[in-house]
Amino acid sequence: MTRASLLLIAALRRTAGGLLLLVGASFVIYITIRSAPGDAIDAISPMGTPPEVKAKLMAEFGLDRDPITGYVAWLARSAVGDFGESLVFAPGATVMDVGLPAFERTLALAALALAACLVLAVLGALLLGRPHPRQQVITGPLYFLTAAPSFVVAVLFAQATNWFVHTYVEQGGYETPPWYPIPIYSESWMPYLFAGFVLVAGDGLFMDFLNAVRAELQGLRSAQFIAAVRAKGARTVGHIARNMVVPLVSGYAARLPLVLGGVVIVEYIFTLDGAGYLLLEAARERDFPIVVGLSVLFTATIIVVNLLADIVRALVDPREVARGG
Amino acid sequence: MMNRLMCCLLASVAVLTAASAASAQTFRYPEDTRPTSLLPFFAEDMSAVRMVELIFDSLVVINKRGDVEGELATSWEVDADRMGIRFVLRENVKWHDGQPFTAKDVVFTIQAAQDRKTIFNAKSKYAFIRQVSAEGDYAVHFAFDRPINEPERRFLFKVIPQHGFGGTAIKRTDKFNRSPIGTGPYRVRKYSLRSVELEANPDYWSPAKIPTVMMQHTPDKSAQVNLLQYSGGKAGVQAVIFLPPKNIPLFENSDSVILEPYHTVSWWYMAYNHKSGALKDPVVREAIALAINREELLEAHLGRGDILSGPFTESSPFYNFQVEPRTPDIERAKQILADAGYKMKGDSLRKGRVKLDFKFVMDKELASNQALFLGIQAQLKKIGIVVRPQYVDHARYREQVFSSQKFDLTLNVWSFEEVEDVYPLFHSEGVINFIGYSNPEVDTLLATAKATRDYKKYKEYMKQLHATLNKDLPYFFLWSLDVYSGISKRVKNVFIQPYYYFTSFHAWEMAP
Repeated sequence: MTRASLLLIAALRRTAGGLLLLVGASFVIYITIRSAPGDAIDAISPMGTPPEVKAKLMAEFGLDRDPITGYVAWLARSAVGDFGESLVFAPGATVMDVGLPAFERTLALAALALAACLVLAVLGALLLGRPHPRQQVITGPLYFLTAAPSFVVAVLFAQATNWFVHTYVEQGGYETPPWYPIPIYSESWMPYLFAGFVLVAGDGLFMDFLNAVRAELQGLRSAQFIAAVRAKGARTVGHIARNMVVPLVSGYAARLPLVLGGVVIVEYIFTLDGAGYLLLEAARERDFPIVVGLSVLFTATIIVVNLLADIVRALVDPREVARGG
Repeated sequence: MMNRLMCCLLASVAVLTAASAASAQTFRYPEDTRPTSLLPFFAEDMSAVRMVELIFDSLVVINKRGDVEGELATSWEVDADRMGIRFVLRENVKWHDGQPFTAKDVVFTIQAAQDRKTIFNAKSKYAFIRQVSAEGDYAVHFAFDRPINEPERRFLFKVIPQHGFGGTAIKRTDKFNRSPIGTGPYRVRKYSLRSVELEANPDYWSPAKIPTVMMQHTPDKSAQVNLLQYSGGKAGVQAVIFLPPKNIPLFENSDSVILEPYHTVSWWYMAYNHKSGALKDPVVREAIALAINREELLEAHLGRGDILSGPFTESSPFYNFQVEPRTPDIERAKQILADAGYKMKGDSLRKGRVKLDFKFVMDKELASNQALFLGIQAQLKKIGIVVRPQYVDHARYREQVFSSQKFDLTLNVWSFEEVEDVYPLFHSEGVINFIGYSNPEVDTLLATAKATRDYKKYKEYMKQLHATLNKDLPYFFLWSLDVYSGISKRVKNVFIQPYYYFTSFHAWEMAP
């Protein structure tokens, strides 16, 4: 078989697997959310609402079906892209209308933050070069600074920034910047930048990535084939770069779920209009179509990114396909 | 050359100033919760009530002095038998989409509210209207099911446009809830995930002075305080609706923020579940009430307020000042429990199979819920009563406490629009009597009070009720809080309506 057809078969197999995983995950998400105590009716219906009125509302909201039947109906509709309508958060709006723009923003934020983290990690690894005990002067504090969970970093960052700016403005140092204080009240890309920074700096993400890249780079530099290239008098940069692609792409794909998880809380703290904010609010209000729809979008994204990472790996390194990738 | 440079500089300065002036004329305020619906019937949380106040008008409003003042109505006349009222409506009022406002819209509002398929909280407020009829375009007559004193006070509901809906059966999911059309001083410019931006309605009969209003959901209270404090009232928010008491000292001598007190009709209580064995015993309820030091809890966790002895706030016409709030007395509490035969066994008191060990359910969204619980737990421990906490989120709380009544004790707040109507709370048939309370004496009092047409007598019944409830303890009545808003000093002519908040907002001004 040609390499292209092998690649295609592998991709199809992975897609099928991904879809199956998605159906399984959506089932778990749907059932879990439907079985949580309290529902949208409790969140909105007035106290003392007679049971028959509650029953009418339940039917109106499609909550009268048992979870399994409900799930099957939901799956049939969502297969054609209809995730239903919001019940409480934005009553009557479709989940896609409310959720998709928010999700796009969140995904862009997470993906860009992680990409920035990757670039910084590569730069850091190149700058630091071979590991040396004296480097602990730099890496030690970095470990310490990036070890906190991202939500802690977010809160501290917002408070520290507010305090600094306030002090400067008080002293007549400079004009109040338009993004101050945090969380801000105007349309601006600055809070997204802050959130991106917090994501990179929190959860130990940066140091984790940096160490992975350094180890990989170190391994490559001392690999036999690089020694051979060097012995021939050729430049090693191209070879090293090409061989770094696979670990970098894998590392990126593997860390995306972590960052998407962190984004949820960070967005809430910076009050950004993202899926994280929407997800938490909808969960609080028991707006289950939104919660299910968004959770499924999150899961689907992770599956798709892993799929893409596999394809990239296969393109760069044919052995990946042969391994049955 | 120099001149040209100067011109450029001046121009850019002018542009910058204009830009900052424009943004300076936006009144921004944070809310703890998102308004779930801007359709007046479904505006059930306070943030929605406040926003709806800016977008819609009612026939009448309650003004600064507590008197009724016309809004969409210019005058009214009560029928001689007090069985009806006729309102003359303001002419040349337009809906935000340009359509004229007429009596038909008022009739439609009532019909929609009374439609059986429109399901909402405040439906019972429209029940007294037997019939409504338009008399031409600018007059409406309402007929009641019984004679009513000062009936105009009952017409505070918002009027909605007939042309905004397909029929009188209105669902929560109607698109109108996000793109509302009102007659009020502001209309919606932008509705996004967590914020709503309003612009002044140029056609309003008394145009608003502040051109833009922006509400942003900011769930974190300390972030709200930051926005008010650090902004110096210039860049952040111009108001925080409710300042947490612990933050009040921050603004006491502030150059930029003024503390604006206002009176809400709301009080805190600790509810006993009367269906749960031990709490049926009045001695146990009394002992708990004697053991809890309300002043201490209030001061430590919530700030200033009044300690109450009954189901009314001190400013209510029904508060009975002759009933003194209980003074905490641990010894007496122990004594009455011992007299009733409760003995210490293990870590709690017991009498036969009855054990004084209670499940205390707390709504996570209630202010200071953990601190308050810990305080109560420590105080009750002193008399040998054990309480175990269960913190649940809001939706679950409503289900667990109000619907399925799986609790022994709980702490919460009741808020009322104007004056307290406690019938639904304490009558054995009351729709929000979630504690399973039933006392024939109280039932009779409430029923007689409801039937009376004499306001003076009604007041007397309520005072009597106050005394009875203080003795019998369906709830342990706790306190009402002193409520402060923090408002930027740049905002002038401020009057806060205790419940709707923004009633007079169109008259508020803002210095650049």
